[in-house]
Amino acid sequence: METTTATPPAGYVHSGVGSSNDSLASTRTWAVGLGVLAGLAMLASLYMVFFYAPTEATMGIVQRIFYVHVPSAWTAFMAFGIVALCSAGYLWLRDPRLDAIAVSSAELGVVFTTIVLITGPLWGRIAWGAWWVWEPRLTLTLLLWFIYVGYFMLRGAAENPERGRRFAAILGVVGAIDIPLIHLSVQWWRSQHPKPVIMRPEGAQADPAIVQTLLVSLLAFTLLFFSLMLFRYGLERLQTRAHALRAAPR
Amino acid sequence: MTTLAAGPREPAIAAAEDVSVSSDGRAMDADETAGAPFLAQVWAVARKDLLLEVRSRERLMSMATFAVLVAVVFSFAVDPAVRARSIGGAMIWVTVLFAGTLGMGRSWALEREAEALTGVMLAPIDHGALFLGKWLANLAIVLAVEALVFPVFALFFNLGFQGSLTALAAVVVLATVGFMALGTLFGAIAAHTRLGETLLPILLLPLLAPVVIFACAATQRLLVGRPVADVVSQLKMLGAFDLVFLFVCTAVFGAVLEE
Repeated sequence: METTTATPPAGYVHSGVGSSNDSLASTRTWAVGLGVLAGLAMLASLYMVFFYAPTEATMGIVQRIFYVHVPSAWTAFMAFGIVALCSAGYLWLRDPRLDAIAVSSAELGVVFTTIVLITGPLWGRIAWGAWWVWEPRLTLTLLLWFIYVGYFMLRGAAENPERGRRFAAILGVVGAIDIPLIHLSVQWWRSQHPKPVIMRPEGAQADPAIVQTLLVSLLAFTLLFFSLMLFRYGLERLQTRAHALRAAPR
Repeated sequence: MTTLAAGPREPAIAAAEDVSVSSDGRAMDADETAGAPFLAQVWAVARKDLLLEVRSRERLMSMATFAVLVAVVFSFAVDPAVRARSIGGAMIWVTVLFAGTLGMGRSWALEREAEALTGVMLAPIDHGALFLGKWLANLAIVLAVEALVFPVFALFFNLGFQGSLTALAAVVVLATVGFMALGTLFGAIAAHTRLGETLLPILLLPLLAPVVIFACAATQRLLVGRPVADVVSQLKMLGAFDLVFLFVCTAVFGAVLEE
């Protein structure tokens, strides 16, 4: 294997690998740049969360988890939106770059959904008195998490990478169309039952400091998402290239 | 496989009599379907699957036996103090989902064995027609299983159904249409992976949430004797989901098969 990668056929280097290396270099520059910005924004948001934002009157200190929970949820939903668009684009154009964006986004989507599902119960235990409540948004988030865990199991189980990309793209499209229907159903389903008393932080007259802190956190998480996504995208492209080199004629 | 190339081509009816259990796409012989109208192609695929099923009865038998066993397990598991009527809808749909998923996996595993799918793909039929044909056959088979599951649960758990049978049938048909649309699509996908039928429920169950929610709710309402007017909105929602799922699954199905 190593000999193949060390001395690939001359034409191969110039046509395929050499030229696209440049585009990945710029990807890496952007990833690092956004990463630095995300780090700065994250520091600012941490300062604001702990020292600037006032302690919420009814829920107390636990309300501060909201500045991690909401930006994670926002980022996760954005990630799955990107997965849906790039999956549809991949099925149409068959451009492997679109698939690389989709898989990078999906992976981060699962990570941020996991954060949502961990921080939610931590807050709910105090605010609602229960770790888990079958509330529409919780149910939707949980199902979303399962759909995209399935996305990775499907990719991993495919008999060849091309098939994996195709199947994952199909799940990306069908999942994206299904999500509004799931949302509709769980809304209806829970409206049949007595609603838990939700003390939503945004329900209380939001202090401007709370809103500002939330906005900075949203910015920080969004920057972090795009930075990580570009890193992951570069990795995915390199993996694809490594596969192609291994499969190249000796 | 061999029947595709061998022997003179007979008219449709005669060919239908000839399909052996192990053969695959006889009913879709090239002469028969070349340029045939879309619905004829759908029917050709469905008839092939249904004939195989009528001859072998293996999916029907395995799904039905499994479903009845789940009913037995439920009777062990549910506390006698619980009124079975209050959880009847839930028990029935859990059983139908598991049994149906079992059958779905088999539907495509059959095509993968002996590369039967290659023969089907060689036939000049539209990918959409192939999908709808498989869907139609799966629908018929699972509806047959459901026709058994409901009376069995009514008998085992003494459900004493008094409501409108027509409304119940409408709920069952509408829910199964959507279930089979997603099941047929993801059954095809799962069959082409290393995990095979193990992967199917993992992909299918989260996506089926809308169907499950409305099917269970409507069945439960009919079971406790609420009037038909109370389930009309659920029936409409199920119908809307069916249209969306059928359209989307048919549209993307072509991408599953291409090599």
